[in-house]
Amino acid sequence: MATELDNIELRPARRQFLKGAAALATTLIAPGVMLYKTAQASTADQQLRWGLLIDTNALSEADVDACVNACQREHGWKAEENSPTSAQWIRKVKLTDAESGHQRFLPMMCQHCADPPCVDVCPTGASFKRADGIVLVNKHTCIGCRYCMMACPYKARSFIHENLKDQLPVAPRGKGTVESCTLCVHRVDRDGANAVPACAEAVNQGGRKAILFGDLNDPQSEISQRLRELGAVKLRADMGLNPGVRYQGL
Amino acid sequence: MKMQPAMRYAEIKTSTTGYWSLLIGLALIALIGFAAAHHMDVEGHHITGMSNQVVWGLPHVFAIFLIVAASGALNLASLASVFGKQVYKPLARFSAILAIALLVGGLAILLLDLGRPERLIVAMTHYNFKSIFAWNIILYTGFIVIVMAYLWLMMERRMHRWSKPAGLVAFVWRLILTTGTGSIFGFLVAREAYDSALLAPMFIVMSFAFGLAMFILLLILSFRLDQRELDASQLQRLRKLLGIFTAGVFYFVVVFHLTKLYGAQNHDFERFILAEGGIYTLLFWLVQIGLGNLLPLVLIYAPRLQGSSSTLVIASMLVILGAFAQLYIIIIGGQAFPLNIFPGYVVESSFFDGVIGEYSPSLWEFLLGFGGVTSAILIALLAIRVLPIMPEGLPAETQ
Amino acid sequence: MRTNPSLLRLLALITLIGVSAPGLMVAADAGASSFGQVAIPSPGKPADAANCVEPVAVMRRDHMKYLLHQRDETVLDGERAKKYSLVGCIDCHNPAKADEEIVRYEDPQHFCASCHNYTSVKIDCFECHADRGLSSSQQSNLTLQADKLQLSMQTFRQKLDRARGD
Repeated sequence: MATELDNIELRPARRQFLKGAAALATTLIAPGVMLYKTAQASTADQQLRWGLLIDTNALSEADVDACVNACQREHGWKAEENSPTSAQWIRKVKLTDAESGHQRFLPMMCQHCADPPCVDVCPTGASFKRADGIVLVNKHTCIGCRYCMMACPYKARSFIHENLKDQLPVAPRGKGTVESCTLCVHRVDRDGANAVPACAEAVNQGGRKAILFGDLNDPQSEISQRLRELGAVKLRADMGLNPGVRYQGL
Repeated sequence: MKMQPAMRYAEIKTSTTGYWSLLIGLALIALIGFAAAHHMDVEGHHITGMSNQVVWGLPHVFAIFLIVAASGALNLASLASVFGKQVYKPLARFSAILAIALLVGGLAILLLDLGRPERLIVAMTHYNFKSIFAWNIILYTGFIVIVMAYLWLMMERRMHRWSKPAGLVAFVWRLILTTGTGSIFGFLVAREAYDSALLAPMFIVMSFAFGLAMFILLLILSFRLDQRELDASQLQRLRKLLGIFTAGVFYFVVVFHLTKLYGAQNHDFERFILAEGGIYTLLFWLVQIGLGNLLPLVLIYAPRLQGSSSTLVIASMLVILGAFAQLYIIIIGGQAFPLNIFPGYVVESSFFDGVIGEYSPSLWEFLLGFGGVTSAILIALLAIRVLPIMPEGLPAETQ
Repeated sequence: MRTNPSLLRLLALITLIGVSAPGLMVAADAGASSFGQVAIPSPGKPADAANCVEPVAVMRRDHMKYLLHQRDETVLDGERAKKYSLVGCIDCHNPAKADEEIVRYEDPQHFCASCHNYTSVKIDCFECHADRGLSSSQQSNLTLQADKLQLSMQTFRQKLDRARGD
């Protein structure tokens, strides 16, 4: 027993080496651990909140198809028929009232919640909400864990399951990351309050505004006025997420 | 106070063909698993059964099983260090190494299934501390480090008095870790299958049962490999523990479903799991409850079967089978059930709204899952060969 | 204290594999390609070379820093500055061409690929980003199929019923 302990004492060099290595490793790793990003943007205007008002009474099935087509054309994604892995930034939903049998169609996309569960659960902060209210995926930091897809109450997000080749310059998208409706953020950044998302552009012909884009926080904006006049519902309002997309006619 | 003879630990020395074939076989399966993961990375997830409806699949079932079992495998060491049950002390080192091995295997599966696994560095340097997933990354890696330290303190004779506080830290850490794992699902308000505070303690009790079942199987295997003595009386204690923990899991499952059944808004979901869910219903009643809870309880407590180590082995295997079924139902069944976005309406869309999500696991997912399990077992078997982890023998109790 | 012989053997095995694996891989590769004979890249000068965002020497060294910084500003803050934007780079260095002349990142003559292949610095930008400029007609050709596919089954059936004759 004594000899074993003595041999341990005779190896101070090894102990010093281990101590030094541990200290070096900690010093190298510590700055990396501090590099966490919070989920809020900083420089965009704090007062704005972009939203959509969708009047389902004014939308026929063909209109909603046109919305979905327009989004695909704008961003270069394709909705494959009956493919469980196909991307779907916006989709046509057919609602049949269980009791009365009444049918209506509406477009369904990311609801750009004020309190998005997808942002809360993203481990890297890739899913984030800009200061102007648009909820996006930062695909540079997305690791493809799909937890945000589990958390989304509206099934708004899609995961890209294969290698892509023909991306459009305005909509970078690639295998292994998650994507969803961006509220046409490239148009919003260019045109501000005058921006018209592709889905709205497709149905707002002839002066009618079946899908209205605007600043929800500006009481004088057209969308706020319309909301004041006619009201609208939030989907799954009981969850308290305060989505930026509102629906009339439901 | 009667002085016990000091427990002697030694590396296993067996060199039979059987032993080497086992190791090589495990290594091959692990390698194939990694190759499958690489193929998934190169081709994209379209080769798997996972889709935009069921985003987490069989790899996650395997991974969560291993992670939950890892935290449970540490139980015996905690019983010795934290709760002072000296009778479990000889098994404490093996308990710790098994915990590390299982966690590494589970973490490997989880990370290899990511859409962009090469961004692991991003995951380790960008933290959203509101995310329970981010916390879990810290908890899992911290667990490995803490249990390694704990193991070393147990093995280094002069540091022995520090093994008790280290054991306490490890114990508390693993409770937080398992709470975090259960909360991955428990915090999801959007889905009817989750959104429950009960999931966190349920996962803790599941970890007790699953971890102990894995521990029993690998303990018996390790002792047999080197033909060391493992008396049946030692196993009797583990048998009783497994019985209590399995009963605990059953209790939580009953409470979980009964509570959900009380709310009319949950009736559709409960009907799906308990009656009309096809594979999920079959797995629930036959495998999770029948084979995974009730039959093991019979095998463990039947008076005529006491002292039979083979029935303990079978019971442990059944608990593990039930574990996989339970996790399959939680993880995949929970996603297959559609979101209720428009109450009162029948919903149809091209994005599979309103319909049960379909999922059938692909070969790649099985390979990845098995690869993770065999990696974990391989790590444990190699560790007991190079480090003095295994007690030289556990004879019948003398007092 | 004697070190565990099993541990020593394990370490020796790992070292042997670790040292010999690269050598074996190089040997395997040498037979297949013209090993050691990669041409020095000479990416072509774009038409507007005088107006490049920074001097050539600066760009050679630091283009990745500008790109990495700009991408955060674009994604997180919505700043779509033309100066350092990736779309801006591509519009100059791989502008829209006729269909037959389009150069993709897989081609060794692609502006970015020519240097990155030589230096063996793997980039994943073009797994997501467009690697070439597109004219508006080329863009709509790419996405035209979306219209073709988007007919819902119901609309299709309606059209089919109508075509079968009322």
